[in-house]
Order: sequence, then structure tokens, then C-alpha cells
Amino acid sequence: MIELKGVSRDFGDGKIVHALSDIDLRIEKGERVAVMGPSGSGKSTMLNLICGLDEPSRGSVRIDGVDLTQLNDDDRTRLRREKIGMIFQTFNLLPTLTALENVALPLRLQGIRKNEAERRSREMLVRAGLADRVTHLPDKVSGGERQRVAIARALIFKPPVLLADEPTGNLDSHTGEEILTLLDDLHRELNTTVVLVTHNKEAAAHCDRILRLRDGRIVGQEQVEAA
Amino acid sequence: MLTALASVTWRQWRRHSLRTALTIAGIAIGVAAFFAVRTANRTLLNSLSLTIEKLAGKSTLQVIAGESGFPEEVWEIVRSTPGVKIAAPVIEVIANTGFDDAANLMIVGEDTLGEQGLREFLFEESSIELNDPLVYLAQPNSIIVARTFADKHGLKEGSKLPVFTSQGRREFTVRGIFQPIGMGEVFGGQIAAMDVFSMQYVFNRGRNFDRIDLLNEPDVSVEELKARLESRLKDYTAVEVTRPAARGKGIENAVAAMSLGMTIASFIALLVGLFIIFNTFSISVSQRSKEIGVLRAIGTERGSLQRMFLIEATMMGVLGSVIGIGLGLFAARGTTAIMSGIAASIYSYVGTPEPPQFRWDYALLALGLGVTASVVAAWLPARAASRLDPVLALHNIETRQKEAVLGRPRILLGTLMVVVAILLIRFAPAKVGLTLQFAYMAMILLGLVIVLPRLAELIARALRPLADRFFGTESVLALDAMIQSPRRTSATVAALMVSLSFVFATAAYVQSYQRTVVQWMDRFLNVDIFVTTSELARTRTYHFSEELSAQIASLDAVKRIENVRFTFIPFRGDTIAMISLQMDGWFARVKDVIEGADPEEARRLVTSGQGIIVARNFVSRFGIGAGSTLRIDTPTGVLERPIVGVIEDYSSEKSVVFLDRELYKQYWHDNAVDIMDISLKPGVDANAFKVELQKTLRGEHRAFVYTNAEYKRWVLNLIDGFFVLNYLQMGIAIIVAALGIINTLIISVNERKRELGVIRAIGGLKRQIRRMVMFEAIAIAFIGVSVGALGGILSTYFLVRTAATMIGGYTIPFRFPISLVIITLPIVTIIALVAAWWPARRAVNLGVIEAIGYE
Repeated sequence: MIELKGVSRDFGDGKIVHALSDIDLRIEKGERVAVMGPSGSGKSTMLNLICGLDEPSRGSVRIDGVDLTQLNDDDRTRLRREKIGMIFQTFNLLPTLTALENVALPLRLQGIRKNEAERRSREMLVRAGLADRVTHLPDKVSGGERQRVAIARALIFKPPVLLADEPTGNLDSHTGEEILTLLDDLHRELNTTVVLVTHNKEAAAHCDRILRLRDGRIVGQEQVEAA
Repeated sequence: MLTALASVTWRQWRRHSLRTALTIAGIAIGVAAFFAVRTANRTLLNSLSLTIEKLAGKSTLQVIAGESGFPEEVWEIVRSTPGVKIAAPVIEVIANTGFDDAANLMIVGEDTLGEQGLREFLFEESSIELNDPLVYLAQPNSIIVARTFADKHGLKEGSKLPVFTSQGRREFTVRGIFQPIGMGEVFGGQIAAMDVFSMQYVFNRGRNFDRIDLLNEPDVSVEELKARLESRLKDYTAVEVTRPAARGKGIENAVAAMSLGMTIASFIALLVGLFIIFNTFSISVSQRSKEIGVLRAIGTERGSLQRMFLIEATMMGVLGSVIGIGLGLFAARGTTAIMSGIAASIYSYVGTPEPPQFRWDYALLALGLGVTASVVAAWLPARAASRLDPVLALHNIETRQKEAVLGRPRILLGTLMVVVAILLIRFAPAKVGLTLQFAYMAMILLGLVIVLPRLAELIARALRPLADRFFGTESVLALDAMIQSPRRTSATVAALMVSLSFVFATAAYVQSYQRTVVQWMDRFLNVDIFVTTSELARTRTYHFSEELSAQIASLDAVKRIENVRFTFIPFRGDTIAMISLQMDGWFARVKDVIEGADPEEARRLVTSGQGIIVARNFVSRFGIGAGSTLRIDTPTGVLERPIVGVIEDYSSEKSVVFLDRELYKQYWHDNAVDIMDISLKPGVDANAFKVELQKTLRGEHRAFVYTNAEYKRWVLNLIDGFFVLNYLQMGIAIIVAALGIINTLIISVNERKRELGVIRAIGGLKRQIRRMVMFEAIAIAFIGVSVGALGGILSTYFLVRTAATMIGGYTIPFRFPISLVIITLPIVTIIALVAAWWPARRAVNLGVIEAIGYE
């Protein structure tokens, strides 16, 4: 489902920084993979390449057989809109939109009419346990609730792929666990392929496989034993 | 601390050199405009005064009496006064020559038949080359020309010089040349001299002179002689004894309106410069918010940060002002030429060309203004920078607080200012003066600016549901950005509002004034043909004769001809217009226009010279109306007549008095004609008559013939020309709109970088981002035009109610040009979209990853 072949990403003109070097990776549909490693190991770079925000210097990135390196910017953007949900450590909700409007945003960007988009968004927010936060602005809800809104936004269009960058990084352990549980529930419901970047072992334990990166290379992989 | 911050500043200047250059250019342009106009004003006034001095020569006193001059008997009295050594009568005319280039020539009539010493007195400095003085004196068609003029037209002794006079085309014989120094420098050397008594005849002065140049005896002081003359001339109440230098003040007053207009235009340029600075510093603060956050986080005090920005502004102000002064001196030459042209063509005041002089006081004033404007403009952004929360500056978007919209006290203050200003305009007495009256309008605009952020927010909120329904989520996000940061948007909207207010108000005033003038012309200017002495209807010095008028009146097609004398006379320390014509003819064609009197009685009294009519603006200006007795100083004594009626008239903003021509001739001893109003017999085609008349006059008389329609069109074109300021204002509004929108959107894109990155990350296409930015521009334009219309309505109210009355004494009906607002909206919208192109490009090309802030 997600396939990286010979992917390298270099930065810089003079002194070249090899953010990723010769990455070969295959993630099956419905699989949950945690990507771990120290700062500067290339985790975020890998995420950026998978969602099409960045292009590899060498190699190919495929989502469901579609080679992202052969797509233009608009096509990659549509891919993100239709097939890839994204969750960020810093939530990245739009501060002037309510929870409902934030969740509806990807649908509105697709051109879906306001009423329909909001109907579906309301359902998703209920599913995320935010029925009474629908009309709240982001600065009027807690960190955990913001991340729930972000998750609802990421999954509103039922994407086959979900990319999460440190989704619990800004939350306390209890709230973080709630978020991970929500992700688990939604994953089961939608059979979404998940790539989760994290420093947190507890978060990684919610995944099927852990990938370890160091200095832009995969240095280890292990299956997670089911609890 | 500040030394350390200076390196930060220097790096910023180098990194954003284009922005720095633009800011300095903004200051430079404003300062250049101000300095150029001020220098040009002074250069013009100096040149006009120099003309007076050069024409005055060695004279220590002069006797004058307004445009129409005074009778010879005044000269007799003056020269017989003990203490007067020389009393030289003078006539001055600017006439057209019969050369192919129709060159203007200033002809000065001097008493060359007088004593020998007089001629030396008159021409000593100029050193006439006069081979045969006796021939010059003996021949009435003799003329002496300046070397410059002679060389230009290949004239030498004995050459013929054709000139259009009141008696028709005449050929004068050049008898001498005077050097291009002293008097020979006046009017760019386009000057000639001839015998004053000959001039009286050829230029239809009757037995009048324009002035007397005096030299006192050595044993009598100038002040003592002045007092003696004033005593002896006390019955000639319009006659004034003055030093030549003092006359400059009168001319200064005469051209004051033009000077004021140019000065206002230069201040507008300075305001635009100020706005550019404000915008640029706002962008700078926005783009450097991270840097500011870091500086604050590592220990920079608020005050130091604010001082850093203000010092930046000061340095830019100094640099920009110095450049501006240099540019201004360069531009002053052209500006002086323009103003001199206007002074000559409209006011008939000619200058002695002089290059603009650099004045340290003007330069220092310009420098001070430039630096002050820079600091004032940068003060708010500097304050905003110092108040930036370092945490917010360094961290994520959800915690960015919505700007505290103006509190209730300020909204109340702004509203109160507007309401109070309106009440003052409506009820305050006019006596407070024009400056204070303009302060009312400033109060309206300032009040609106104060409430504008709230107003802009309310309008954006009102538009939000409509935008969502019709334009989709991009429009909602654009409006949300404005609602979130009303201060950012309101700066540009305020600038748009102020500039569009001026545009709408001036247009409303012009349209209302034009409509009023059209109605006036239909009622009063209802003859078939007008014959005038110049393209500007009248000149101060050149007139027709009654003989010419009689000649035209004898033509078959002519039913009636009214000879109009249009002159300006001193009145109560000011100047008013006086129009004298055959009032029986006027009453025959102008019906139902007299206010405050029985029309038949008014007709009887005015046509018999027993009464006077005044224009309504005369009543407004001087508080004297129907039923009062008007007392006017004339060259032959006081004229007292009752005002028997008031009419609505727009002939002059100086206010007008109408009297019968015979009464005028009786008191002013002046039978000159400025305009001939011709009524044709029924069935005569006006256009055909015009052609015939032109044929008759061509080559013999310099005259301008208009049909009724042409004359009215000319008047309306003149009004258009005077109000060219409106086009200047529109141009400035466009510049302000474009610059303001570019800057506001750049700040908006910058402040919402992360937000835009997120939208791109979750599937927003580039064109959707572009649409967001474009929509924000459209919203700014819409709000700007809307509040501009509101400001325009209030400003129009001020203009028609107060300014018109104060400046011209006119009452203009209030009509607001809604159609102009409707036309302006798409124009400003298009400009907004064009201005949004670059910020939209920046938004679209944002690096998404950097914008989101991945580490």
C-alpha cells in the first residue's frame, strides 16, 4: 500500500545533508507502523515524502501503486485531500474556525456543499466524543480535545492512509492514552494504514511494527507483540 | 543595548534592501513635493515682486487704484504736492503681437514727453539705445523694445512691430532697444515701452492711468510724503499710496488660492509618503515577529525594542528627506514654471524669471517634516513590536489571541466626534474662520478612523454567511483573517476611506456646482454670441473699445449688444468683482431672478443708476443685502447706492456687484469693454454669424467669439480644469489602495503562514490559497469603498455647507453621487485584485513544510 524504493533525500548546496539514504520500505494496507529514532534521524522527512509535501532526491514513493514522484503539485495535493489524513503534534487547527468548521474543512476544499460537509463532520465529532464541543473555537477547548478535533478532521473523508506526527507529544500521559485509544478504535473501524512518528514507547506499543531510524537509515524493525 | 540592536537593524536593511529603498523613496517623494512647492511658491512670489521692483525702478512710492486705474486729475494733484520730485504716470498692458507666434508683449506706457530726468529715472539701468530721441518723442507710434524680444523677432531700429490694440491692429515703429537688465528683464524680456498718452488712446484708457511712480525730494522723507499725498487724495477714496515693496503682499493675496491648492497637493504627497512608511514598518514588524520574540526572550526590554524601530525610522527619515530635498530643488524649476504660467494666464501677473533659490530654512523645515513623518508613521508599528508577546511570537497558532478590538470608550469617542462635527457644521457661525471650519471635517474623518476597526469587523462578520453561501470556504477563511485582525486591515481601509472620501466629496461638490452653474447660465447667460478679449474671457489689462462694439452693433443681424466691463475693485480690505453693463438690456432678457425686492422697482432704480444689485455670495461674505446702502470707494470719490435686489450668481468667488454701465463710467471714468453680449435678430443662425464676425475681426482685432453653447461648454470646461484636483485625488487613492492592499496582504500572509501551510497540507490546492488572498483583497476594497462612501457623504455635507460658503459665498445644493460610488467599487476591486497578485504568489509559493514548522 505504501512503498518506498531506494528513497534518498538530500538537503543543502555546499555541504550536503543526507536526511534519508536508500530507504526501502513497504507498509501493507491496514498496518500500523511506528517510526522511532533520535532527533535528526529523518522521521519527519520520511513523513513529508509519504504525504507528498516533499519529493525524494532519488527513488520512488508509491501510495496504492501511484508513484508520487510522477505527479505534479496539484495531483499530490488532491492525493492528500482524498487519500491521506494528517495529524500534527501541534494540532494545527485553524483558530478562527469552530471545531465543526475545522473538521469540515477538507470536505469543503473538495467542493462538497456546506450542509452535507457539516452533517458528516458532526457525526465524526460525536464519534470522537466531542458532541458538546461542536461550536467551540480551538482556544476554548483543551489540548486533548483539540487533538480529537484534529483526528476527526484527518479521518472525515475516510482516508486509506493516516500519518501522525507525534500526536501525543503535547499532551499529558492520560490524555495521550485517550488519543491513542481513539486512534485504535477508528483504525479498527476504517482499516486505515497508519504511520505514526513518535518518541513515546507507549504510543509505539499501539502499533503493529516499529521502524527505527538513525542518520537517515533504517537500523531496525520489530514486530509488536499483541497485548 | 542599542549598539547591539543596531547590527540587527543593519542586517535587516541589507536583507530587505528593496523594502528599505521603497520606504526611503516614500519619504523622499513626500519631502520632495513639499520642498518643491514651497520653493516654487517663494520663487514665484519673489519673481512677481521683482517685476514690481524692476518696473518701479527708482521710485520710492506708487499711487494705485485697482484694475481700472484713476483719472488724470489725480496725477495733477500728486505732482503738485510739495516733496514730490518726480511723478511718472504709467499704464501697463499685456498685448498680443501680430507675429506668427502671437507672442505676448508687456507694454509699459511712460511719460516720455516729460522732463529729461524722468527718462533717465525710468530707463537708466536699462540703458536705452536710442539713436534719435526727437523722432521717438515726436511720433505717436514709436515704441522701444527690450533686446531679448528684438533679437527673437529680428527687430532693429525702424522695424515694424504689429500689435493688437483696443483700436485694432496697429503697427508701431521700433525707435530704440533697451538692454536686458533692469526693466528689460521683466516678463522674460518680452517688454516694450511707449508714450503713456499714446497708450491711453490705443488701449482705450480714456484719461486714466494705472499708477504713478514717485520719487521724493531728498529733504522730504518717504513717510512724510506718503502722509501728505494721502491727505491730498482723501476724496479719491479708491486711490492708495504705497511703497512698491508693499504691493507684493497684494499680489501674494491674489495668487493665494493657487498657492494654497499646490501646498495642499504637496501635503497629500507627504501623507502618501507617511502611509507608505507606516505600511512598510508594519510589514517589517510582522516579518520580524520571530526575531522580536527571540530578542525579547533573551532579555531585550520593550522600550529598547521600540527605540530600535524608531531609530530605524529616524535614520530612514533623514536619508529620505535629504534625497527629497535634492529632488525637490530639481523639481522646483518645473513647478515654478507651472505656477508662473497660471499666475500670468489667470491672474495676469507676470514674473521676472529667476532660478529657484535654495533656502536653508525651507530645507530644515522639509527635513524636520520628513523625519517627524517617519517617526510618527513608525510609532504604532514600533509600539506593536514592543508589545509582542514573545511566547506567541515563537509558538503555535491556536494560542494566538484575537486582537482586542477597540473598547467601548474609544468607539463612543469616535462616534461622538463625528456627531459633534456634524452639529458644528450645521450650527456653528461662519465667523470662526476657514481653518477652524476645516477642523470640523478633520474631526469627522478622525472619528471615523477611530471606530473603523470595529466597523470593519462588523462588516466582515455581516459578509461572512453570504460569502460562505456564494463563494465557499476560501472566502470564509479570508473574512476570518480580517475579523481576527481588524487593526491590520483597518489601517489600509482607513487610508482608502480617507482618500475615497476626498474623491467622492470633491466629485459631489463639482457635480453639484456644475449643475448649479448650468442652471445659472441658462437663466443669465442667454444671449446668442459672446465676444471676449482672451481665451479666459477677460484679461486684467487688455480691453475692447466702445467703437468696436458700435461697429458690431451696426451689423444687420444684431438685435442688441451689451457691453460688459468685468473688473475687480478693493472693498473692505479685500477684493470684489464688479460687473457693469447696460442693465435695461439685461432686465429685458433675464426674468424672475431678483430676490428681496419688487422686480419692476429694481429695474427702474438700477437702469437709472439709482440702485445696485449684488450676488448672494456678496451677501454671505459681507452681511450686506437688499435694503442696505452700499458704499464703494471709486477713483473719483465714494459711490453710495442702495442694494435693490439680490441674485444667485456664479461669475466670481470673490462675490459680485452689478451696476449700470453709465453709472460705472461716471465714477470710474472708464469706458473699456471686456465682453460683448450679442443678441441676434430672430431667424439669424448664430453659427453662421460667428463665422462672419470672425472674418470681420480677423487680422484687425484680437477677439474670441463664442456661440451660446460654446461659451457654456467653455465655462464648464473651466470648472473641470479647476477641479483637476479630483483626478489627482483619484490617482492618489489608487496608489494608496494598491500599496495598502499589497502591504496588508503581505502581512496577512506572513502572519498566517502556518495556517496556510496547514490548509495546503490537508489538501488545499494552490489556486484555493490564491483565491483566499484575492478574496481578502476584494473584502478590503468593498469595506473601503463602503466606509469611503460614508466619509464622502459627511465630507460632501461639509463642502457644500461650509467650504463653498466660506470660500466663494456660494450655496450649493447637497447631492451625493451614488453613481460614482457604484463605478468606484469595481475599479477599486480590480486594483485590489492586481495589488493582491504578488502577495497571493507569495502565499501560493510558501514552503509548506517550513510553514508548518516541522523541525
